[in-house]
Amino acid sequence: MVDKDTDIIKIDAELCTGCRRCAEVCPVDAIEGKQGTPQFINVEKCVMCGQCIQICSAYASIFEEYRTSREDKLRERNMPVTLEEPIFAAYNIGDLPKVKEALTNTEAFTMVQCAPAVRVAIAEEFGMPLGSLAPGKLAAALRQLGFNRIYDTNFAADLTIMEEGSELVQRITEGGLLPMFTSCCPAWVKFVEQEYPELIPHLSSCKSPQQMAGTMFKTYGAQADGVEPDNIYSVAIMPCTCKKFESQRPEMNTDGYQNVDAVLTTRELAYLIKEAGIDFSSLPEEDFDKPLGMYSGAGHLFCATGGVMEAAIRTAYELITNEPIPNVNIQYVRGSQGVRRGVVHAGDVKVKTVVVSGLKNVVPILEEIKKGNADFHFMEVMTCPVGCVSGGGQPKVLLPKDTEIAYKNRISSTYRHDEEQTYRKSHENPEIKAIYKNFLGEPLGHKSHHLLHTEYKQRGYCK
Amino acid sequence: MNTFILGNPGKCIGCKACEIACSVAHLDTSVVKANEMNLPFISRLNLVRTSSVTMPIQCRQCEDAPCANVCSVGAIVHKDNCNVVLEEKCIGCKECMLACPFGMIDMQPKFTEGEAEFQVGLKVESLQGEQKKAYVVMQKCDLCKGRANGPACIEVCPADAFVIVNPDFIRKNIHDKRVSSAQEIAKRKYTGNS
Ligand code: SF4
Ligand code: SF4
Ligand code: SF4
Ligand code: SF4
Repeated sequence: MVDKDTDIIKIDAELCTGCRRCAEVCPVDAIEGKQGTPQFINVEKCVMCGQCIQICSAYASIFEEYRTSREDKLRERNMPVTLEEPIFAAYNIGDLPKVKEALTNTEAFTMVQCAPAVRVAIAEEFGMPLGSLAPGKLAAALRQLGFNRIYDTNFAADLTIMEEGSELVQRITEGGLLPMFTSCCPAWVKFVEQEYPELIPHLSSCKSPQQMAGTMFKTYGAQADGVEPDNIYSVAIMPCTCKKFESQRPEMNTDGYQNVDAVLTTRELAYLIKEAGIDFSSLPEEDFDKPLGMYSGAGHLFCATGGVMEAAIRTAYELITNEPIPNVNIQYVRGSQGVRRGVVHAGDVKVKTVVVSGLKNVVPILEEIKKGNADFHFMEVMTCPVGCVSGGGQPKVLLPKDTEIAYKNRISSTYRHDEEQTYRKSHENPEIKAIYKNFLGEPLGHKSHHLLHTEYKQRGYCK
Repeated sequence: MNTFILGNPGKCIGCKACEIACSVAHLDTSVVKANEMNLPFISRLNLVRTSSVTMPIQCRQCEDAPCANVCSVGAIVHKDNCNVVLEEKCIGCKECMLACPFGMIDMQPKFTEGEAEFQVGLKVESLQGEQKKAYVVMQKCDLCKGRANGPACIEVCPADAFVIVNPDFIRKNIHDKRVSSAQEIAKRKYTGNS
């Protein structure tokens, strides 16, 4: 059964030359077809990571005639028809029409969140160098577009660390199921659900930061602004095409309100900014709104591979030892190798960690776990090559030789931004302290469980 | 002898990356991301796809260049082992296009700093009224002369589907063929199978 709404990643049969370069990068072998003929995506296998979109180089040429005009192709993709850039065979269906409608609807109170990887790449869409860091301009642009509240996924990343860190400590000290897996990357979660359903209990029960932010908008945020959750339209700006899928999952709903109503990729936000005639490069630096827009350096790290692990270690260390961690920069989890193993000595507790980037690299480890041979406690998995900064919704680099430098620059501005923050640990974020004091109670408490945790379930396709 | 680039139909997977690389290499601005490409890709090589073959084709840099021989304004000149087009001289008469035995010449709009160039005197009648007419010039592979890393198409091809056929390559190729024929002939003679 194919749910129409989950059919987000597509291949235009008129443009596809059947080179199968996408099949090479696809981590789940979801691209089917013979060499030299148009390819199809097996929607049940596809984890919507969008890596195929990033690599595809078959474009609509002005020297060829197609049955469908360029304008119609742009419309099918929900891309603005005024767009001048080339269009390629592999693409994602966008959400711009929904968001534009919400922005003009006077009844709607729009709250937008922005993922950490967006601020290290969006400036590229306006001609600034690869990896330019632009949190202030990003906030300013969202404000000019007319969003009522400019909030931040980074805040929710801090919240995730509070919940996930506590869950890990609880599983270690009280004897829960180990190893525990991160659940922030929706493509990874879908992969476990469809290919390793027996390992679902290893996933942290935490919602991803995108979904936690969405829940908080329609509860705590609604209270803060005195608006009805019914009137809140919750938008997320993401580097990831799979976040569109995640936001539509029925589990991502609290008391009848879908946590996130629409997701735009980094590229789609750039289209919106351009259409509105906003000159991004000359925007002033502005701040995100409070309370749900304040973040620590740890929360920002979520966009790079190893980042969730680093943020979690900064907090878990202190939860376990009650002492400040000697060095907040945890180098061994950083880097670009597919698998990085390590140990954190937190007092008497030795926490063994594994960081995986690139979904293919996780398969041998999952097999190890199935055989009962896993000897570690916590595993972070991100589907994309170097984490969210290399996501399927990020600016598309034309020639593969430039990809490496783009990734390198986006990652180095990630770490620079962490170092710029007043607070570097999630539990030190004053708004995080406030939200637990005034609203949530304690991590893993009744309320946080209801709002911030969920259940993952087996999916139709199983290998 | 002129150097040229030859695509290998046995290796080419038809991804069009070479066309993109060629277009980008010939812009007078640097373009890295898809969104910066606000003009069409204008490639000097062309990917041919039929049901039986997928192969990039580009100029063979002929020794007795038919295109240069027919050009009435002398817009094609020989320089550094390559037939080069002087775009400023080209009047777009299409003689060269018809003369090229390989069909490797295109008439393409001329862009400067990302903007199409228009003709001074010629107007086009259209429903929207009089429009300026774009400049169109002959364009063909120039072996990416002056590009630091050499031909852009070769650099980008994920399938290694190009070979540079330069004098060294030809000399070695011819030499090897001569040696193997000599050996073949000699073998036949001594075994008496001639
Ligand atoms: S979608 Fe693009 S990358 Fe994939 S086979 Fe078709 S042309 Fe190649
Ligand atoms: S989106 Fe990802 S999983 Fe789906 S077909 Fe493309 S590369 Fe494969
Ligand atoms: S050598 Fe340069 S000009 Fe010639 S086809 Fe290749 S990229 Fe184009
Ligand atoms: S880059 Fe290589 S494989 Fe791709 S179309 Fe060109 S010659 Fe073929």
